[in-house]
Amino acid sequence: MAKPKKKKEAEKKPEPARKEGLKEIVRDWRVLILIILLVLSVAAIYPHFENGKFTTALQFGLDLQGGSWLQMSFASEVVGFTSQRSADDLAAALNKRLDADVSQVGPGQLEIRKSFPRNELERAFSAENATLTTYEPGVSRATADDIKRILEQKINTLGTKDARVNLLTPVGTNVVRYVRVELAGVDINTAKSIVGKQGLFEIRIKTVGNQTEHVLFGNAITSVGNPQQDPTRMTWGVPFTLSEQGALDFRNAANQYGAVTDEGNHPISMLLDNVTVFSAPLDPALAKELMTQNVQRLSASTGSGTVGMNQAQTLEIHLRAGALPVNVQVANFGQVSAPLGEYFKFMSFIAGVLALLTVGLVIYLRYREPSIVLPMVGTNFAEVIILLGIARFIFQLDLASIAGLIAVVGTGIDQLVVITDEVLHEGKVPSPALYLKRLTRALAIILVAAGTVVFAMLPLALMDLSTLKGFAFITILGVLIGVAITRPAYGKIIMAVLSK
Amino acid sequence: MDWFSYDINRYTNVRMLAIPLIIFLLSLLVIGMTYASTGLPVRPGIDFKGGTAVTLSTPDSEDSIRAYFAGFPLEPITRDVSSRLYLLKFTKMSAEKNQQLIDKINARYPDASVDYIDETFGQTLQGQAIIALLFSFLGMAVVVFIAFRTFIPSIAVVSCAFIDMVGTAAGMNVLGIPLTLPTTAALLMLIGYSVDSDILLTMRVLKRQGKLEEKLAGAFRTGIIMTSTTLAAVLSLWIVSGLGQIEVIRDMAAVLLVGLVLDIINTWITNATLLKWYAEKKGS
Repeated sequence: MAKPKKKKEAEKKPEPARKEGLKEIVRDWRVLILIILLVLSVAAIYPHFENGKFTTALQFGLDLQGGSWLQMSFASEVVGFTSQRSADDLAAALNKRLDADVSQVGPGQLEIRKSFPRNELERAFSAENATLTTYEPGVSRATADDIKRILEQKINTLGTKDARVNLLTPVGTNVVRYVRVELAGVDINTAKSIVGKQGLFEIRIKTVGNQTEHVLFGNAITSVGNPQQDPTRMTWGVPFTLSEQGALDFRNAANQYGAVTDEGNHPISMLLDNVTVFSAPLDPALAKELMTQNVQRLSASTGSGTVGMNQAQTLEIHLRAGALPVNVQVANFGQVSAPLGEYFKFMSFIAGVLALLTVGLVIYLRYREPSIVLPMVGTNFAEVIILLGIARFIFQLDLASIAGLIAVVGTGIDQLVVITDEVLHEGKVPSPALYLKRLTRALAIILVAAGTVVFAMLPLALMDLSTLKGFAFITILGVLIGVAITRPAYGKIIMAVLSK
Repeated sequence: MDWFSYDINRYTNVRMLAIPLIIFLLSLLVIGMTYASTGLPVRPGIDFKGGTAVTLSTPDSEDSIRAYFAGFPLEPITRDVSSRLYLLKFTKMSAEKNQQLIDKINARYPDASVDYIDETFGQTLQGQAIIALLFSFLGMAVVVFIAFRTFIPSIAVVSCAFIDMVGTAAGMNVLGIPLTLPTTAALLMLIGYSVDSDILLTMRVLKRQGKLEEKLAGAFRTGIIMTSTTLAAVLSLWIVSGLGQIEVIRDMAAVLLVGLVLDIINTWITNATLLKWYAEKKGS
């Protein structure tokens, strides 16, 4: 009991405050973490010269590297309803009444693939003994994923180097309202033609040997459904409908080349831009049916299990030949040329460096003590590097996030000021115990301030619609890194500096 | 080192509060006038009302650019000091007309940057921006209330942040900075940062021992440096982006500048006076 007390008394002595060499500071785990992260970040940013030009591994947004973007809304709604009728029954009735693709997408939810104002749908629903309860322009998640796959496929076939397709959902709903396509290094007219491009789809039939004969083109396909699983055979397939003429052509070909009697030797193949994407014999039951009548509703089955499902999804895209399941309208598009992006990048760099320098100057004017100013500015700089190091893996830096980064510089140093002033209170260098108490108090102020910034930025970080996600992320990340890593390390460093 | 002395006792509480009150009332007047004419407290930019923004880097004269785009709804052109970078804004037009515009731009200025926003999309964005501002402010207020757990000091901090926002919105109208996605982001940032110095002040006054005047003066010494460093960073940002005509960053920096200056007044006059009044009442 007596021993610890003695120890405490010894600590209370104002002098000598523990002298720590550089070695000991570096050995402190808080400082160690900071240094390790700093080294890792520099490695991640990987500044190097390539063909005599300075480059890094940082990813830049379109506004800093050049490229174009195209954001589209859907001519479609997802509506909620209540009715005594079954959803399938209602969907079929509405399909006819509205002359639009209507399908169930969830319990009590229908997707209508055509643009209608709310009041028009309300009238149609009440005419079918149902009540419309919710109305959201957009498409269901499943349809949106389809659209995304189709767009990605189109972009991939062109081999465009840096492209991304994002689905955007406004806050407070699960209905996808927009799809955004971003293509680096491409101007807007090229981007538009890539997105709007459709392929040539053809169905052929095998005749004799390796010979095939043309049956019909993609324009004979009037609609393509989502992949479905056969309830008895458990195989996946893509349902599609042929026009009347198409069904007639299909039947004639099947009869003419003998596929109706000998399915196995006359498989039907589907080609997109002259590449075979699907090939299978006629189903015996279908073959029999085709002997006597036209069949408009067909299904191409791929197989069972996940493989079959994935194949069905790909086949669906091929069947559509690049056409999207819903019509789209352009909501937002734009382009930034590479030279302009380069110029913005350069100016942002200048702005960042200047911000660091002016902040350093203000700090110097306040403390006039290099042994305080240098650790402060150094810690601040380290914070920026670590932030960039982490950002490199998560998102692309754009103009707004650079503004966020520079604001982090300004506020990061704020909190270092709070620590320094709190520790230096009354101008005296405190004993370690008092120092710890003050540091805790300073960290409390910082924690609350950090909390307000994080919560203020959170809505923006969660919002899908805005292009400011990166900005919000970098601000929040900056605050978190500050609170968790750089402030505690700075507290340690400044203590060591002051006790000298 | 003090740049000037801070003495909150020189005037009575009521007289101290007169300055921020006058600013607040003037701000409300400006916002009200903007609201009457646009339906929004701040004039909306292209992001929210729709239109096409174009940035050109060209040696052409302003007149020749204007002549080239004759027939399109072009708003007044702005350009940077080196006068080689032009900012053009077109109000909304039909889809075909818009495609014509893009073709025309790409024909003569292939290195131009273009940003088109559809009117409906603009409205959606605007709705989302309002939601973000509301939730952001609420989130900040919750953190403040949880941190202090006393009503009057918390409400003082939150109202100061609110007055800051109103004043900044008015400042945007006066300076002609439109409300766009980036400036909304700057406002959100301000919600978070403007309470920094208020928190410092409140923590020092409530949690530290000592004479009230000394605590206030000490908080001011630290707080004013905090705001100055942020101001310095933002000011350099504003100067560089202003010279370089980087509209996104320039507008964000301008909004932050206005907000931070107002924050100095609101923290060290409004909040400090309220807090002093609270501490004296509690102490007596």
